[in-house]
Amino acid sequence: MNGYILLPLAAALVVNLPVPGVRRAAWHTALIAACVQGIVAAAMLADRMRGVVLRGFPDGLSSVMLLTAGLVFVAGLLTARACVSESNRQSLLGSLALLGLAGINGIVLATDLFTMYVYLEAAAVVFFVFIAFDRDSGGLEASFKYLLLSGVATVFLLTGIGILLLATGSTSFDGVSAAVSAGGRDRNIVLLAAACIVCGLLVKAGLMPFHGWLPDAYSAAPSWASVLLAGIVTKTAGIYTLVRVSVAIFGAEKMAAEVFLVVGIVSVVAAAVAALGQRNLKRMLAYSSISQVGYIVLGLAAGTPLGIAGAIVHIFNHAVFKSLLFVNAAALEHQAGTCDIPSLAGRGRQMPVTGATSVLAVLSAAGIPPLGGFWSKLLIVMALWSAGWHALAVVAVGASVLTLGYLLVFNRQVFFAVPKEPPPAMAETGADILVPALILAAVVVGVGLVFPLLPESFLLTLTEHAP
Amino acid sequence: MNPEAAKLFPAVVAAAAALAVSGLYCLLATRNLLRALIGFEILVKGVTLFLVLAGYASGRSGLGQALVITLIVVEVAVIAVAVCIVLALHRHHRSIDTRTVENLKG
Amino acid sequence: MTDHLLLTALVVLAIVSVMAADLILSVLGLAAASAVLSIVIFRMGAPMAAVFELSVCAGLISALFVSVTGLIQPSRRQDVREHLRKKLARFWLLPLFAAGTGVIVFLISAYLPSYLPAGAPAEDVRAVLWEHRRLDMVGQVIILLAGVFGITVILKEKAE
Repeated sequence: MNGYILLPLAAALVVNLPVPGVRRAAWHTALIAACVQGIVAAAMLADRMRGVVLRGFPDGLSSVMLLTAGLVFVAGLLTARACVSESNRQSLLGSLALLGLAGINGIVLATDLFTMYVYLEAAAVVFFVFIAFDRDSGGLEASFKYLLLSGVATVFLLTGIGILLLATGSTSFDGVSAAVSAGGRDRNIVLLAAACIVCGLLVKAGLMPFHGWLPDAYSAAPSWASVLLAGIVTKTAGIYTLVRVSVAIFGAEKMAAEVFLVVGIVSVVAAAVAALGQRNLKRMLAYSSISQVGYIVLGLAAGTPLGIAGAIVHIFNHAVFKSLLFVNAAALEHQAGTCDIPSLAGRGRQMPVTGATSVLAVLSAAGIPPLGGFWSKLLIVMALWSAGWHALAVVAVGASVLTLGYLLVFNRQVFFAVPKEPPPAMAETGADILVPALILAAVVVGVGLVFPLLPESFLLTLTEHAP
Repeated sequence: MNPEAAKLFPAVVAAAAALAVSGLYCLLATRNLLRALIGFEILVKGVTLFLVLAGYASGRSGLGQALVITLIVVEVAVIAVAVCIVLALHRHHRSIDTRTVENLKG
Repeated sequence: MTDHLLLTALVVLAIVSVMAADLILSVLGLAAASAVLSIVIFRMGAPMAAVFELSVCAGLISALFVSVTGLIQPSRRQDVREHLRKKLARFWLLPLFAAGTGVIVFLISAYLPSYLPAGAPAEDVRAVLWEHRRLDMVGQVIILLAGVFGITVILKEKAE
């Protein structure tokens, strides 16, 4: 299990040995590591499906996160190759990507609150650098803003850990949960610790009203970094940690559910509305991400296994379609040099493959059957309805329509509209960006088609937690 | 909680809170990027103090120290990268005042 | 008594650091606060942590800040001073606020010791770090490497 952390780290070290020529393998090594991780995680999930559950291996949720991380890193690394031309910087990127992968895996595999913090910071540092990678003013500023806000969030997280240490004498998930459920502690102290930790993690997840750093970071970062950020980092650093902390430590607290419901619904609606008015493609996608993460939180807040399963599947689906959209954005930016939607009007007609994959991503994001996004949104809405939150379920469906709205508008304007003056000639992007787009599109369609065939027991194993 | 810790407890928590508030104030109220980092450092010191207290008071001084040492190392990396970002921004704009530098909308 | 004095000195130095008009003074205030903090940590039974705090925070980080401050010459010194003078008028706010928070927290936390559990036998730091928290150590290695690569990425000029 620790191999997920140690192997990428070892690879990062090996690739930087002062042996001539080895440096150039950095990017390839990172790509291979991500591929291997995806395959192994998928194999583990397949095992689960057949009912074989191995002791000591990561549980359902962690396996899904590992698979998602592998897939998103593959997409991001391939896109990065097209955008980062200089060989030295490519190898630095590869080394950092390996470290980032190790960090993300560490967050997902940690069984101790403080260990989770250490790996959160490790992944965060890698991404501060990634956002600032092109060294342009916008990227540097966005990275700094993210750094400060993430730092304050970390302080809250640490305060909560400190309070728990005081109250229970331990920082591991098992230790704390045992002490909390043994009772006899002053409830208020544990609640205070929980509040601190949750506030910190909500900032990291970019949910409203703690989303201040997100639109800038996603839009100013190089497109390939946004692929990684939107696809895996924010979700791991925020949502996964929230789930682990809530369930493993505090049990399903009624009050926590209500907080998550409020935060979730506000994020879903407000971010969708904000996305409507955006001119910059990446900024629009950033707000869209906040909205989708709101859906995930709603699923979790519903509290039923159905909701949790829906949330976990949506984590995967969102990673796939959002990464695909950002890869498309990278393609447009690479060929046209801009991310401004009005300026791109009609130019996408010359990029048929990008357009096609973009349509698939949009439909999945809006929850149109038979694509992947439909299933996870359906599960979440059903879970909300059956848990009694009828109004919220209706609002969630409504926001889905909004999502379809702004995404389809972008799609139509860029890829299908006929501009008044003929736009400058533009070729379809090279294989480097097309390949990840095609891979992700295949996954979007594949999940959508395969999902109803999955046995129900598989979904339930996702919601079990490691012994 | 051991009696020496109990005597110190309120004072240390108060000091940690005061440090945190000062650090946060500095972070929010300044226009100078480096000062923002100094404020962040002070904030982290507040948390460090609190963690040491947690280790001391719960009797687990080994665990507490391990946490603090790891925390210090981790934050060094963060601050180092942050300072580099400030340097790079300075190269661009010849200034580290947020009025000149900040043009990212909310 | 000594401890209370040290804690007060710590908070005062931090406030001085925040309010100082000159950046160098601010950094020196931070360094001094780190030194006092390390003494406080030492007196709370955490000698190893105290050494780290002293060497890393009071030493390394302060040296880093001083060198960066030296590199970054405030280009419009007059302008910076003007702005700070305007802020000085509001500066009495911070000590009041910090003191206020301190007092409130002090009063609240005076009740806490009775709620919290009794102490447990302590283990040696070294044993804890190297045996129980191996993953943390690996994490530290990752983050330090990431920092090094990151600095290279951000600062290294292209070799023309």
